[in-house]
Amino acid sequence: MAVERVFDHLRAIATGAKYLFLKPRLTLMYPDEVEDLPRGYRGMITYNHETCISCSLCAMVCPADAIKMYLPKEVPEGEKRPKRYPGINYTRCIFCGFCVSICPTFSLQHSTIHDVSFYTFEEQIFRPEEFAKGPPKPQYDKEPVKVRVIPDEERGLRYERV
Amino acid sequence: MSEFVETISRSEDGRFLELLIGPQHPASGHMRLVAEVDGDVVVSLRPNLGYVHRSVEKIAEVKKFLQIIPLVERPSLADTTANNLAYVLALERLLGVEPPPRAQYLRTLLAEINRIHSHFYGIGIHGVMIGSSTAFMWAFGDREPLIHLAQELTGARITYSYIIPGGVRRDMPPDFPDKVEKVLRYIERRLEDYDKLYVRNPVVRARLEGVGVLKKEDAIRLGITGPNLRASGVPYDVRKADPYCAYPDIDFNVITREEGDAMARFLVRVGEIRESMKIIRQVLKKMPDGPIFAEKYYKMLPPNLKKYYEETKEVKFPGIFANLRAPAGESVARVEGGRGEVVIYIVSKGGMNPYRFRIVTPSFRNAVLFEHLVRNVRVADIPAIYGSLDYFPPEADR
Amino acid sequence: MMDLLDLILQPWIFIPLIFPGLTTAFLVLLGIIWAERKIAAKVQMRYGPLYVLKPLGGAIQMIADLLRYLFAEPIIPKDVDKLTFIFAPLILFGLSYLPTIVLPAGPGFTAISSEMSLLILLGLLTLSPVFTMILAWGSNNKFSLIGGLREGYLVTTYEIPLFLSALSMAVLYGTLDITAMVEAQKNVWGIFLNPLAAIVFLVLILISTSKFPFEIAEAESEIVMGPFTEYSGIFYGLVMGASYLKLYVLSLLYALIFLGGWYPLPSFLQNPPFLAGIMVFVKGLVIMFIAIFMRAIYPRYRIDQAIQIGWHKLVPLAILSIFLSLLVVYLGGV
Ligand code: SF4
Ligand code: SF4
Repeated sequence: MAVERVFDHLRAIATGAKYLFLKPRLTLMYPDEVEDLPRGYRGMITYNHETCISCSLCAMVCPADAIKMYLPKEVPEGEKRPKRYPGINYTRCIFCGFCVSICPTFSLQHSTIHDVSFYTFEEQIFRPEEFAKGPPKPQYDKEPVKVRVIPDEERGLRYERV
Repeated sequence: MSEFVETISRSEDGRFLELLIGPQHPASGHMRLVAEVDGDVVVSLRPNLGYVHRSVEKIAEVKKFLQIIPLVERPSLADTTANNLAYVLALERLLGVEPPPRAQYLRTLLAEINRIHSHFYGIGIHGVMIGSSTAFMWAFGDREPLIHLAQELTGARITYSYIIPGGVRRDMPPDFPDKVEKVLRYIERRLEDYDKLYVRNPVVRARLEGVGVLKKEDAIRLGITGPNLRASGVPYDVRKADPYCAYPDIDFNVITREEGDAMARFLVRVGEIRESMKIIRQVLKKMPDGPIFAEKYYKMLPPNLKKYYEETKEVKFPGIFANLRAPAGESVARVEGGRGEVVIYIVSKGGMNPYRFRIVTPSFRNAVLFEHLVRNVRVADIPAIYGSLDYFPPEADR
Repeated sequence: MMDLLDLILQPWIFIPLIFPGLTTAFLVLLGIIWAERKIAAKVQMRYGPLYVLKPLGGAIQMIADLLRYLFAEPIIPKDVDKLTFIFAPLILFGLSYLPTIVLPAGPGFTAISSEMSLLILLGLLTLSPVFTMILAWGSNNKFSLIGGLREGYLVTTYEIPLFLSALSMAVLYGTLDITAMVEAQKNVWGIFLNPLAAIVFLVLILISTSKFPFEIAEAESEIVMGPFTEYSGIFYGLVMGASYLKLYVLSLLYALIFLGGWYPLPSFLQNPPFLAGIMVFVKGLVIMFIAIFMRAIYPRYRIDQAIQIGWHKLVPLAILSIFLSLLVVYLGGV
């Protein structure tokens, strides 16, 4: 029993020591390396104003009330019932992607951008006009290396430069 | 030791020190534990719950049915699939839709991936609570490949919102089984190292064996659930007791242990990781072909969306999803999540929101164990027992 | 200029000031904490401190941390006992470093040469835990109080076997003078003559410097930071540094009495004592690395288990090691 315990101690220490010399690191060196996200990743939303039919399904399904339908800033003259278009509030959005899934015209799509920072709350509210310009680009100190994350038998995850 | 404690805990008042552990404490989580200690012995411990109460049930009453999916995921962030699945099962029973078999298998697949990383989460937190930073870092590191898999499947890391009424939101990518197999092999290899460095580490065993023993009768009487129940020798698992999704076709064991101590709870989790890997392999092997979205809703899609779905196997929601109405009635569903049984109960009056919504989470049911187990133990046993319960305050507070 | 150099090279200046005293102790302090984090990180499959001077793997991270401690506002809570709160860390730090003065850096190169240097060193070592307890009491915090009491229990646990196992070596070599003890290991190191004492002493280093698996007084998940809960800024830097200094002192002692000190350095290289000092230092480093490596392996024991290990295992083993020494002496001595 006591001898067994000594071996258990030694085995634990040996296992730890093994990791001292192996190099199986899992860290992704963000922001020097940035994951090249696959299509289908649920990032910030892009919006195509041209194809939008103003059906407002996206606003209706949004669980966080992030999408609202906005009146255009200048209502064209003679328009009795001006069409409303969606704008997004990124302080509320939870990236569930329901709006993208429900949009019948593919006007809403996910981008893979997810790491944008803002200074103020107001900056995060995008009216339809700004929403159509696409999500803001993340700002890195220097251009990051894009890596693809690949499951690996030896190391769990491997990061391969694109 | 217990005799000794009995005599002093009856001594005059004022000799006990009241320790307020949390919410500003490195290992309390989002709650306060009020511990009365006599020297190094905890006389009583009262958990003070509710610090992260977010009123999920009441919010659900003003949300539309589809919008509740992300909502029920929020309380248990490490184990979102269980809540998602339980809710959708209950909703489907109300709506009277049956998802196609492939969707059932995909649901099972995600649920098991989620179970593994939820268990790793619990193991990691438990590790750091008894002082092993390596167990913490390893477990959280090894969660990552599984989260990556789930991300490939669903598009999100934690909050998948993957399971929707009538099916799932997208099919798995073609090379997915390959990647899963790689990750499973990796986890298998790593579990051996866990065994050597952590499980059989004499210090770990000294800290966990015989600590916080939950007797079988007490576990049943108190309504404990999940791995904590199974560690006391009760072979109860909703996947067997009330099978759902693809579980009836899958061959797996319910892991139990007799000891009922912190070590047993931990080992049940490790055993379940192994079982889940078995399940995932079977699911991938038996995965039937076919649609992933119920015929009933598929028919409602306009032709261009139908075409898109056929091509990409990505489900587009029919317009009706925005304002889904459930017929009047009530339904209940239960699911075995990583931490235990999740029960969801919906009452509908035929409108767009549930009339009453009830969610019983496993942590809520296990919270009673704080008072029950942490009595006449050492101060150092508080985190050892706490961690072994895999208790998640936001899940209990909801 | 030459005079100044000569003066510095006088043992009674060199030892307290350069090696093993202040300068080296300070550098070790910076290095060892960095190494601890780095080693733990490696075992845990991550990088550890990296971005402060990236080409060297974040080697000067601790300097950055030191600056942070220096410039952070030291918060003195309203209800603490101010006198003890402020002075206990200073004295604690000073006392942890004080034992270095009796350590020899080379043959005959001592600041205080005494027949009793081992006893002086052990005696000085026992002083610092008292101030840990005092500052815990002065903090007026329940977690600090429990931490201080734990420290107190541990002191009573480790002190006796520590003395016994060190003295068993004194029995073996027939002297209490550390320099003479090293000279006695000219042919065979003490660790081979009395492995029992060596193992017991190594475990006791872990207990007395509060390293894993005996990091009990500061157990973060239980009592926040133990005795040091209320400390911030430079005071926290001091109390944290103190336990590493103690580790440094004990590791050098271990190198001297168990690992043959400056041997196997041939005698013509022993004077001037630079190489000898480096030899001792490197051996001490090895012991320090072992001690900090344990962080990556073990969780912590409970206090009652640690005390049990102390009294039920280490004390008998330490007594046994004395008999082992006597046996070795009887069989032929050193
Ligand atoms: S992703 Fe979800 S939360 Fe965000 S805008 Fe779309 S529906 Fe709303
Ligand atoms: S669902 Fe699509 S088409 Fe309809 S309003 Fe929103 S963005 Fe426009």
